[in-house]
Amino acid sequence: MTDASAYIKIDNVSRHYGAVKALHNLSIDIAKHEFIAILGPSGSGKSTLLRLIAGLDRPSEGRIFFKGEDVTALPPHKRGIGMVFQEFLLFPHRTVRENLAFPLRMTQETPAKIKDRLDWAEGILSLNGLMDRYPNQLSGGQQQRVALGRGLVANPTLLLLDEPLANLDRELRQEMEVEIRRYQKQLGIPFIYVTHNQEEALSMSDRVAVINKGKLEALGERQEIYDHPNTPFVARFVGRATRFDGVSDGTTINIPEHGYSFAPSAPVPTGRVSVFVKNERFALGAAGTPGIACTVIDVVLRGPFVEFILEAANKARIIAVQPKRPNMHAIGADISLTWDANLAHIFPAEG
Amino acid sequence: MSEPNAAARKRVFLYIPTTFLVLFFVLPLVALVVLSFWQTANYKIVREWTTLNYVTLATESAYITFFLRSLLMATLVSIFLVVVAWPIAFFIVRFGGRYKLIFSLLLAVPFLSGEVLRLIALQGMLGPTGLINGALLRMGAAPLRFIMYSNSATFIAFVYLYLPMTVTTIYLSLLNFDLRLASAASACGAGRLRVFSEVIWPLNLSGTMIGFLLSFIPTLSASLAPRFLGGPNGTLYGMSMAQQFGESGTWALGAAMGVVLVLFSIAALVILSLGVNLRRTGFTGMER
Repeated sequence: MTDASAYIKIDNVSRHYGAVKALHNLSIDIAKHEFIAILGPSGSGKSTLLRLIAGLDRPSEGRIFFKGEDVTALPPHKRGIGMVFQEFLLFPHRTVRENLAFPLRMTQETPAKIKDRLDWAEGILSLNGLMDRYPNQLSGGQQQRVALGRGLVANPTLLLLDEPLANLDRELRQEMEVEIRRYQKQLGIPFIYVTHNQEEALSMSDRVAVINKGKLEALGERQEIYDHPNTPFVARFVGRATRFDGVSDGTTINIPEHGYSFAPSAPVPTGRVSVFVKNERFALGAAGTPGIACTVIDVVLRGPFVEFILEAANKARIIAVQPKRPNMHAIGADISLTWDANLAHIFPAEG
Repeated sequence: MSEPNAAARKRVFLYIPTTFLVLFFVLPLVALVVLSFWQTANYKIVREWTTLNYVTLATESAYITFFLRSLLMATLVSIFLVVVAWPIAFFIVRFGGRYKLIFSLLLAVPFLSGEVLRLIALQGMLGPTGLINGALLRMGAAPLRFIMYSNSATFIAFVYLYLPMTVTTIYLSLLNFDLRLASAASACGAGRLRVFSEVIWPLNLSGTMIGFLLSFIPTLSASLAPRFLGGPNGTLYGMSMAQQFGESGTWALGAAMGVVLVLFSIAALVILSLGVNLRRTGFTGMER
């Protein structure tokens, strides 16, 4: 996916603030119908990347292309983008209707066209009855809908979303996740969604770009990123995983602290290794069978799933997630912890 | 904290400023109004009710001229100050970084000396043999006549005196303004001018109006600047009023002039606050 005809092309972009490298040689191509999530911890440079795409900031090096046109030097208002911010940033002195009409007025649409687009936004975002209110008279979810509407109303080339759901409560967030994904499919323009929340990234996007310390750690289909992380950072950051320090002889990996060995079918690096096992991929067997002997010290119910807080012989805590079923292990039960050797992610130890 | 205790404390906090205002603002104002309906003859107050003072002010052309001159001066000075103060305040907020506070304090440095001292310094700058014209004469150029004891000189003085006030109020307003709203407008397709006229200006209109009034009202009643720099045709209303209380000893007429100034200042306040829809300046304190 490195052809010059990509709908959005971010080509080897860097952004330095003095000696601080916020972004480093980053390239991403984005297709027209794609929902891409940019996932990273805070301070990773993901918001900087979004500001560069929006034109609110300029790259120190590299170029950005929209539909083959070099927009690197264009100010935001000449890029034809829509943008949704974490803090909504609605204009407090304008009603919902005026907020939504703002981008249309900037592009000098005819009154008929403006009315047409306002009706469209009112309908698609279910803002009926709210059009003449001021932003501070709306709930958080309603404000977010208006912010989305303001981003989409002028038929932008792409929509940039900067942690738009971070200020909403959990229930509303999940509702909005579904909605935002629906709009993206309907409109057929790329959504670039910045978040530090891996659940949001995984639930909505087609592809995920994982950014850490200003560098692109991984870019790929969401399932691929989840199932086959290519770096220890991705293995740790995407999904919930437990790390074990092991020693490998090329075929068998021994975890000395728990006295447990396992042998993946594929060859593995030799020497000291880090083993990551996703918490839901642990198997809990009867005590005495081969595995890491653990005691269940707590059971946390999470709807259809159960989290077992386990304690191994060396007092290390391990969390195992299992589907909820009858006759579960109770607190105080002794069990034996194992995992499918081929589902663990193994990397040479860092440092 | 118990209920009655809190209520008592609330009352104390209300009574102290109220007492202060009644003693030092309302009572003198009442005295002024009463005096304005009396007469003065031979440096003595005659306690007879009359509206003669107001008739004099409304009919004698000198007073009408002074008043209109003051009104024009105050309007021009305040508009000029807003135009000049906006970019100064904006650049301090936008680019001042950690020196923001120092920059805004620097504006207040002239306040460390008295008003009279500053006016005398200006006299030295602008007068016929002052710094500017003296230098021009030395170089063989013609002196700038319009800055010698004229209304222009008074105008310069007012701008100099009240610039810190106007910059500070606009600075404070901009300091509380969320500049990310400008980014949002920009991402919505607004160019620089539209970002300013549609978002930054309206959301800082209240602060700008206060800055305008903080120069408008004192300019309207100023007496020192025109006396030092105004020259023969530079008498302003406030200056004339000061003369009634001083040389001419016509205190009652002076009191009437004072009442006129108070009424006009209140009128300016009312007109401006009626003209500003608080909702439209992003003022959201009224709801919830």
